[in-house]
Amino acid sequence: MSEVKIYSTPTCPWCIKAKEFMKENNVEFKDFDVSTDQKAAHEMMEKSGQSGVPVIDIDGTILVGYDVERIKKLLNIGN
Amino acid sequence: MTEEKYDTVIVGGGVSGLGAAIYAGRLTMKTAVIAEQMGGTIILTNDISNYPGFKQIDGMGLANKIKEHAKEYNVEMIDKKVTKIEKCGDGCFKVFTKDDFLHTKTVIFATGTKWRKLNVPGEKEFSGNGVHYCGLCDGVMYKDKIIGIAGGGDSAAKEALLLAEYGKKVYLIFRKDKIRAEPINFRKIMENKKIELIPNTNVVEIKGGKSVNGVVFDKAYKDSKEFELDALFIDIGHIPLSNLAKEIGVEINEKGEVKIDRESKTNLEGFFAAGDVADNVFKQAITGVAEGVIAAHSVYEHINKE
Repeated sequence: MSEVKIYSTPTCPWCIKAKEFMKENNVEFKDFDVSTDQKAAHEMMEKSGQSGVPVIDIDGTILVGYDVERIKKLLNIGN
Repeated sequence: MTEEKYDTVIVGGGVSGLGAAIYAGRLTMKTAVIAEQMGGTIILTNDISNYPGFKQIDGMGLANKIKEHAKEYNVEMIDKKVTKIEKCGDGCFKVFTKDDFLHTKTVIFATGTKWRKLNVPGEKEFSGNGVHYCGLCDGVMYKDKIIGIAGGGDSAAKEALLLAEYGKKVYLIFRKDKIRAEPINFRKIMENKKIELIPNTNVVEIKGGKSVNGVVFDKAYKDSKEFELDALFIDIGHIPLSNLAKEIGVEINEKGEVKIDRESKTNLEGFFAAGDVADNVFKQAITGVAEGVIAAHSVYEHINKE
């Protein structure tokens, strides 16, 4: 099973979509609210080199933004 | 999905495309909506207070409601990027994705727009690191910071009002002498003590180290062209996503918009368009939805005259 981390803010629509996608496809993930969790915000910036959300970490591969086709590919989710 | 022929394929999943889908579905046409990002750019708007029937709703809420409504009529929703559209010999169309295609009698083209960029030094370098395009997404990262917004339209005004909830000071920087906000938003801007206007000014460079720490203006503001801020949100309008239509001979105007008539028809038989990608003057959710609805009706008429 893939290890998925989503770095997000509560108001970010793409973050909400990313989390909905994971739930719809029964993918377990850890959600980090970088607007309140400074440690997670720092971790996100270290990983992605920037502060925009969402940042999605799938087994160490870092995606900036919500790219559903790349997410499907990385998680081997069929169409 | 390859050989099955649709009555219409709606390219674009914003509110215009989804509004078209409701009517296409109700008219019992075999319909698919195909889009890379269902919901469209409206989901990045936190406050919609001018869509009839909703005193206030956020963009994602509105898009989801229209999408759920369309699903009531067995409309197929496909989350994929369209790479090409081709006209077939039989007068139909093929709508391609990376690895497949949809065969359809008609197309409703509702691809919308993308953000216009400033195209100044530093914009690309600091993208995501102090240069942002979505206040709703990234504004919260700049609590008690100094935020600039490049843009003078209603969208920029609304962005300023949102970002003033986070920043200690918000500067609205725009090239004309007045902002072009709706009167109701203009009043809110003028009443908000955190927001300051910098008119007749262009950002010509974005500067920083690890992240943004300032911008350079084309003329002095308070005796200096250099101006310190922690983030710049860019909201200077949109570029129509009309290339796929242009490639198959659909007429485009000088702004890059698809030319349509009052029935949402383009110059290409069987190819209709609606919403922000079309050459309408007043681009609103409600007008885009209306064009989508008209397009669906025109598709119905087109198919049934065959």
